[in-house]
Amino acid sequence: MSLSTRDRTHFLILKLHSLTGIFPIGAFLVLHLLVNSLRTVGVWQYQLSIDLINNLPFLIWVEILFIYIPLLIHSLVGFLIIFSSKINLKRYPYPRNWGYTLQRITGAVVFFFLIYHLGTTVGPKLINGKEHFEAAPFLIDIMNREFQTVTGCLLYLVGIVSATYHFCMGLWSFCVSWGIIVGPMAQRNAGIVFALFGLALTALGVATVTEFSLDPIPVEATVGGGAS
Amino acid sequence: MKSKPVILKVKRQDTPDSKPYWQTFETPRKPMANIISCLQEIQRAPVTADGKRVNPVVWDCNCLEEVCGSCTMLINGRVRQACTALVEKIESPVTLEPLSKFPVVRDLQVDRSRMFDNLKKVKAWIEIDGTHDIGEGPMMPDAIRAKRYVLSECMTCGCCLEACPQFKAGNDFLGAATFSQVRLFNLHPTGQAQKENRLDALMGRGGIADCGNAQVCVEVCPKSIPLTESIADIGRQTSLKLLKDFLSK
Repeated sequence: MSLSTRDRTHFLILKLHSLTGIFPIGAFLVLHLLVNSLRTVGVWQYQLSIDLINNLPFLIWVEILFIYIPLLIHSLVGFLIIFSSKINLKRYPYPRNWGYTLQRITGAVVFFFLIYHLGTTVGPKLINGKEHFEAAPFLIDIMNREFQTVTGCLLYLVGIVSATYHFCMGLWSFCVSWGIIVGPMAQRNAGIVFALFGLALTALGVATVTEFSLDPIPVEATVGGGAS
Repeated sequence: MKSKPVILKVKRQDTPDSKPYWQTFETPRKPMANIISCLQEIQRAPVTADGKRVNPVVWDCNCLEEVCGSCTMLINGRVRQACTALVEKIESPVTLEPLSKFPVVRDLQVDRSRMFDNLKKVKAWIEIDGTHDIGEGPMMPDAIRAKRYVLSECMTCGCCLEACPQFKAGNDFLGAATFSQVRLFNLHPTGQAQKENRLDALMGRGGIADCGNAQVCVEVCPKSIPLTESIADIGRQTSLKLLKDFLSK
């Protein structure tokens, strides 16, 4: 059978959905939470990391190719998957069925959270043309203001918890569906390891939100000066 | 003292296209009774709890020892075989419904041919017919035999599919039973000849990638077949085939 039959395309699209969830989207999530948690270390360390990212060559193309396009594919196929399933948690309330159902709910939650998140950060940044060293003070100012309201903090906490859950549950089901972990013991153990990993990522995100909301510090542009 | 009768609430449907309706029956509580024997009582005296004489309830059964799978139905909302549902051990009143993901023929009788069609799609057999005698098959290591024995206990009852959130009456998902049978026949030394064809059939619409890993199948399997292990194993076989096809086609 050839590689490009209609049937095989269906299979490949689902495999692509599964793969993009781990790389690059999952990898980006880990990086994003890790880099942002630098805020808990110190505001200049945090600004340094934003400066570094915003001075990368071809940044917008890297973002489009490794974040926006995979995210769009993953979301689109994800919603098709959600609509193809028939939730039966009430009748069969087993732990794994809970996991399956929550995976679909958190996927949708993260999608709408990301629209909000991009709309309040990257969107204004691009519209106002805040590039290179100008990006950090601009973005930090936005975040400082967002985390001053309870709603803002709650919104981010829900977004972060949904994203880390969706990613770590996704890691597990990726490993099962690609046949990396096969036996019941291996599946159980991997589930524990990924759950711990998920808790660590969540802690990272919660710590960052807490730091921002308790101690908002405005910054000036590292090079060029904010006043210009 | 007379013991309380068994109350059975049965979801009935006269024809494949007609609307379902509920009727309540009371049958005498007898020791060791199962749902099948209760249905037989109804067949003998098809009178509802409120005294109305009706058509006897239609259901499927055959072996009465949980190896044929034909009496699979929803008992108190949960999918299982009626023959091993002992009245003493289940809550009364008992609700009986036909499987919800297969077309109803009449009352509790459904058409499960989709499962058998799926087995045909994946060539769930070992090809030995030809124009000449192909001689004896190769020896099978005992570890493989033991693994296959468990998988071979599948009776195509449909519990795993009924409980699967990905398996719907309107879609073309093959489901856990089919995936596990592919594993069974791919493990057979002679069956391996058809391995690639079987995997091809699973790498398409309704195939292995459509599985959402809700893992309800393994929880409801009456034969305790390691279905989720089979799914992951088929996942591995298809992943390797995908890689092989990409690199060599």
